Amino acid sequence: MKLNRLFQLILDYPKVVLGVTLALTVFFLAQFPKIAIDTDPKHMLPETSPVRQYNDQVERDFALHPDVIVLGIVNPEGIFNVRTLTRVKELTRAIQELPGVISRDVDSLTTVDNITSTEGELVVKPALGTVPQSVAELSVLRKSLLGNPLFVNRFVSRDATTLALFIPIEPSVNGKEIADKIRSLLPKNSGGDKFYLAGDPVARDTFGTEMFRQMALFSPIAGMIMCVALWFMFRNATVIIANMTVAMISIIWSMGGLIALGYPVHIMSSMSPVFLMAIATDAVHIFNEFAFRLREGKDKRTAISETMKVVGPPVFYSDVTTAVGFAALATGAIVPLKIFGLVIGFGTLVVLVMSYTLVPAVLMLIPETHILKMAQTHGKGSNEGPSWLSHLGKFCVTRTKPILLAGFVLFVVAVAGLGQIRVNNNMVHWFKRGSVVRTADRVMNEHLGGTSTAYLVIQAKDEGAIGKPALLREIEGLQRELEKDPLVGKTVSVADYIKRVNQVLHDDNPAFDRVPDSEREVGQYLFLLQSAAKPRHLDNVVDFSAKTANIILQLKSWDAGVMKKVIARANAFLKEHPLPEGAQVKPAGIAYFNMVWNHEVLWGMLTSFLWGLVLVLALLVFETRSFLWGCVSFLPLLFTIALIYGVVGLIGKDFDMPVAVLSTLALGMAVDFAIHFVSRFQQRYREYPDLKEALIWTVARPGKGIFLNAILFALGFAVMGFSALTAYITVGILMAAIMILSSVMSVIYLPSLIVVFRRRLCGAEHLSQEREPR
Amino acid sequence: MKYLGFGLVFASLLSVSGMELGSAYAADTVGGSTVMKEMLLAYYYPQKDAKSEVFMRIVNRQGQRRERRLTRLRLDKTDGGEQFYYIYFHEPADVQGMSFLVLKRPGRDDDRWLYIPSIDLVKRIATSDKRTSFAGSDFTYEDVSGRDLDEDEHELLGEEVLGEYSTFLVKSTPKRSADVEFSYRKLWIDKTTHLPIKVEHYDLKGALYKVYETQEIKTIQGVPTITKAVMKDLGSGHETEITIKAISYDVGLAPDLFQERLLRRPPSQWIRR
Repeated sequence: MKLNRLFQLILDYPKVVLGVTLALTVFFLAQFPKIAIDTDPKHMLPETSPVRQYNDQVERDFALHPDVIVLGIVNPEGIFNVRTLTRVKELTRAIQELPGVISRDVDSLTTVDNITSTEGELVVKPALGTVPQSVAELSVLRKSLLGNPLFVNRFVSRDATTLALFIPIEPSVNGKEIADKIRSLLPKNSGGDKFYLAGDPVARDTFGTEMFRQMALFSPIAGMIMCVALWFMFRNATVIIANMTVAMISIIWSMGGLIALGYPVHIMSSMSPVFLMAIATDAVHIFNEFAFRLREGKDKRTAISETMKVVGPPVFYSDVTTAVGFAALATGAIVPLKIFGLVIGFGTLVVLVMSYTLVPAVLMLIPETHILKMAQTHGKGSNEGPSWLSHLGKFCVTRTKPILLAGFVLFVVAVAGLGQIRVNNNMVHWFKRGSVVRTADRVMNEHLGGTSTAYLVIQAKDEGAIGKPALLREIEGLQRELEKDPLVGKTVSVADYIKRVNQVLHDDNPAFDRVPDSEREVGQYLFLLQSAAKPRHLDNVVDFSAKTANIILQLKSWDAGVMKKVIARANAFLKEHPLPEGAQVKPAGIAYFNMVWNHEVLWGMLTSFLWGLVLVLALLVFETRSFLWGCVSFLPLLFTIALIYGVVGLIGKDFDMPVAVLSTLALGMAVDFAIHFVSRFQQRYREYPDLKEALIWTVARPGKGIFLNAILFALGFAVMGFSALTAYITVGILMAAIMILSSVMSVIYLPSLIVVFRRRLCGAEHLSQEREPR
Repeated sequence: MKYLGFGLVFASLLSVSGMELGSAYAADTVGGSTVMKEMLLAYYYPQKDAKSEVFMRIVNRQGQRRERRLTRLRLDKTDGGEQFYYIYFHEPADVQGMSFLVLKRPGRDDDRWLYIPSIDLVKRIATSDKRTSFAGSDFTYEDVSGRDLDEDEHELLGEEVLGEYSTFLVKSTPKRSADVEFSYRKLWIDKTTHLPIKVEHYDLKGALYKVYETQEIKTIQGVPTITKAVMKDLGSGHETEITIKAISYDVGLAPDLFQERLLRRPPSQWIRR
């Protein structure tokens, strides 16, 4: 057979294989300096996506800055004291001088004008000009600022304990770097003041930076733990080196390839190293069998050949299913997700190729003296191992009904949990509860209108339509309706500005805190506002031709679900109160954007996942040449996934991005053990057609490889449980759980299942002929 | 003037092309102030009074336009000192009749009154902020009525030829930087007419963000007058073009025209509704 001859060539020239692999690795490694990083979640949707385009258009039309950092200053004693106010003034100025900050558009009490009415005069002054020094003056200032509804809960909290600065930054700069620079400006001796930095660019770029940092930290740690575990399993340095080399090579090739093709490394693909390291542990099956064969007294070359003959096919199929599981992500529309899927898919194929080339070549090069030691160590360990595993095997084949029943009950519970799953995503919750970013977000949302922003754009048919009092009143009505949601902390529209002018022109008479009755009045107030406010503030809420208006919403939560509720509420209101002038309402802004891409990413992933399931099942049927055996191999996977996501549903954890990413990994990995189990069982059963004996043997021998693999894998991922990012903790813990669960499922549940359905499965001795991998 | 003359000789000796001569002028703040003073008088105080018909067009980044048409009456109490302004808006239609009355008093806050016809209200406006937009344009109140010379340090950087104009280049840096949104301005001032040809505004980080450019100067009644100018905001992509459609000097405006009670009944002799 051709393949076999090729394989013998590899065994003949192991050093050539090593050399070629090294050369290719150097080539891919040389691509790394070109690395580009992209952490903007907005890039989840392609530039051509209508939502992204519309969002960009809204930002352009209303002169809105896409990236705004919010600096909150909280003083429980109240912020109206000389020191805090002086600080605000100095800080504003210092922040304006930071590179990357859009200086002139920094909104702080010192840069925005307050329009008030004093003794019949219209007073237009910076909200905070010269810092007042006396108690009386301070209380006048407090009254004037809290008396302006445009300021309350935006710049100052109603209880006067918090104030906020809104700091727009250039789209090209890193939000975390700016945030760090702002932090360095904050006074060391803060007195009663506490400072908090929040906003999308801070969360997003902090996560991006942190993510790469954590990856750089945890990839080596995971690698080291795997090394130690491998040492305890095989007591052989070469095995460890071979296994880790396979992992490193697949990482370097796939990441190098990604970089060489000019793609930026995105949030998703940054996770590739740990994923690939885990996938590379598949080589353990080869070492496990190799050690067994050596102990049986085979010479090295025969041991390798025989090992590859029996372990080769399951390794081939388990890697292919893993690759298919990830490549299924490429069926979706989300570009970074596609890339992620293809990178890991490619990396998995590299692992596969290495298993057939590099691993045997390295085994060939192990010095003879070490070989004996390795065989003995493995044997020693397995003195208890196999006996313990044999007991387990016996238990499985005798107590089939209780095992199947227990499995069924668990499955029902899992399905009940699946029904509870809540699809949601909250970027701030990717950080730990006590983290700086999350604390800042929580504190600011407790005190002010909210750190997340959404827009509701009112599009009328004709120019000037927004100036019609009837429409303005409906806009106002919509705002009041939306504010009924406790998570909608603040809304601002052109109606608010007009009401403010109306009241101030009428000597602050509260009776005039309303939209005036004539269009001419509205027009003249708008004209006045253009001279009084910064023109940009008015541009934020109404366009030049007064054809479109914008309601700015501040939301107190980054939950994608909150925006969904806002839209539902708005739609319900608009159904009851259709807007005059043929006006339509369209949502935009970061909150809406997050909602859309979350929805698309999560559902995209779910569809890819279902496709993956179908593909994997098809592969299994093809591999086993039997629909039934295909289904049997498929069951542990299905069961594991149902159970994991059932638990996610039951404990009320959101089905968010990190959890969704896992599903694809689980798909590819959880099926591996079943493939190994079924394949090896079938081989054994052909040689010794005693069902129970064959099952016990499979549990004891390849089962050991499966457990070793699972433990190695779980350890590697469990390290991520110590990460500073919730997202990684989730991935680490769930992944470890998936591995343990699927190994247990394969080794314990499958034997029982095979025993119960033995007539259907093996009764007619229809097991197909031995096959070579293609 | 001695310094200035000396500087001129120096400049012509060294350079015909008019390149910057920073070092020669570096310490020459007297020269800078003199140039600025001449500019202020030529630009904001020509003759005793003036009546002008002004057209403004504001264009935003998307190319949307806002247009304003107004009549402006100006009367100087003293040259370079107090001034009266009466500004009456004709267009857009819904603001027709809105008027401002301004008594400019250098060194102090201006007195401003506003008339809002839709509610027939005259309101006094107290403001310490002269950097707000003039009628929604990219010009500020200060750009329109002149910034006090004492607010800035003026430094003559040199001379430059700007198109057809031979200019002095002055750098004006605010004395109290906390009050303004720019760190300094650079002004190119025509040597013969003393009118500003170009003004660059630099933000707090020293980056250029706003540019004023004179596009047309006409001599009217013997007075060189800027009849077309544009202010571009590089940050927002906004720009405003001001055109003087008609202007006449020394028309004989009387101080009693500039009274708040007249805002309700604009003088028909001067303002045709």
